[in-house]
Amino acid sequence: MFKPEKFIDEKIKELKDKIKGTAVIGISGGVDSTTAAIIVHKAIGPNLRGILVDTGYMRKNEIAFNEKMLKGLGINTLAVDASQRFFSKLKGVTEPEHKRKIIGEQFIRVFEEIAEKENAKYFIQGTIAPDWIESGGGLRDVIKSHHNVGGLPKDIKFEIVEPLRDLYKDEVRMVGHKLGLPEDVYQRQPFPGPGLAVRIIGEPTKQNADIVREACAIVEEEIELASKNKEMVKPWQYFAVLLPVKAVGVHGDVRAYGNVVVVRSVESKDGMSASYSKIPHSVLEKISVRITNTLKDSVSRVVYDITNKPPGTIEYE
Amino acid sequence: MKRVYVIDNGGQWTHRIWRVLRELDCESKIIPNTTPLDQIDASGLVLSGGAPRIAWENLKLGSCTDYLAQFSGPILGVCVGHQLMAVYYGGKAGPSEIPEFGLCNIKVIEPDDLFKGLPSEFQVWQSHNDEVKEAGEFITLAGSKDCKIQAIKHKTKPHYGIQFHAEVNDTEHGEQIYQNFVNLIK
Repeated sequence: MFKPEKFIDEKIKELKDKIKGTAVIGISGGVDSTTAAIIVHKAIGPNLRGILVDTGYMRKNEIAFNEKMLKGLGINTLAVDASQRFFSKLKGVTEPEHKRKIIGEQFIRVFEEIAEKENAKYFIQGTIAPDWIESGGGLRDVIKSHHNVGGLPKDIKFEIVEPLRDLYKDEVRMVGHKLGLPEDVYQRQPFPGPGLAVRIIGEPTKQNADIVREACAIVEEEIELASKNKEMVKPWQYFAVLLPVKAVGVHGDVRAYGNVVVVRSVESKDGMSASYSKIPHSVLEKISVRITNTLKDSVSRVVYDITNKPPGTIEYE
Repeated sequence: MKRVYVIDNGGQWTHRIWRVLRELDCESKIIPNTTPLDQIDASGLVLSGGAPRIAWENLKLGSCTDYLAQFSGPILGVCVGHQLMAVYYGGKAGPSEIPEFGLCNIKVIEPDDLFKGLPSEFQVWQSHNDEVKEAGEFITLAGSKDCKIQAIKHKTKPHYGIQFHAEVNDTEHGEQIYQNFVNLIK
């Protein structure tokens, strides 16, 4: 069995020996990067600089929430608004792998600039096992280039350190719990590194990001409320995806013609296989009504995805 | 502690096999399928699945056929590893008429060894385009509606094959199947 205490002790020792001087860490506020940050923080203390990048593709209120949480955990944190840079580099880009590679490169460029200012030779990432497995390499087929593995540029100015590389999500959660992270952090649902950009099928414009951000917030709120009220068990991951497909609707006796939003919710343990969540229809209906009413100018229809992994993947790109 | 290595044929779930073995308190590591046999100090092997497509003619998968010929301990072939085994021992494998992905029910035909203590029908997770068509020197242990040969056992050697993925969480009793395999290792 996996023993989180042993893992933590060994990693702290290993990191203490390895990292000399300052290191920067990219933190999204998710379980993986936050857990990696705490472990490295225990090893090198204030020499760790946590960087929160606002890519423009973060969830609703996420940057403010993460900044508060990380500072509360004692980590020296800097939030950087790089959204304009990401929007402009992704202008006209629709191919999923191209999108992921651009995002991977921009992340690194932002981190490099900060590392240079901070004179840091090391860059820490919260990479976990499925990230590098799905990114391919050698015999393995590329399923998705994860921004922190297959999406990395070739010329990088610092050494990358990945303390959680061999762990799966459920093991990371055990480590996070052992390290004393708040439950709403270590039990937080996964969120992909490229953020909402891969939940927009087609061009990830700012306008599309705003639509899918609101739709994701509605899915999260309704599912979390229903779980709290014991109408269902909280799924492993739940979100919305914006399709570049339009459908006709009728709003107040007037024809509407808006996009289709997918509600996606799955059950899994480690993300490597998954089955779609059997959410009660009453909850799905609330989500549908709220999305179409709130986003009436852009969304005319809501569908529920009933695909397992495989043959699907959890996210769409 | 039993030493069971995972031969990597490039599968998405190779790492999962390693993890299940680790949870069963085996000493395990993932090694490339090109590792020479004399460098393998394990007492059991699992041949992982992978993207390579088995054709009607023999596919080599690195040194996997050397392991089948010369490795003395039990071997479990998964997915393409299972197909390779069948072909190596005189069976046939090729494209499935109906491939299976994700959820699937299998029926146990022969409960010995691999399916000891398990129900006669349970849910497994699949991901295959090819399948074993003729079992050759193997006995068929389980089948599904669209794929008749889901698990096999060699008539005389400690070689086993499974088409489905017992290493993923969504497969019911998957850990028990691996435990049953590990129990066969001395």
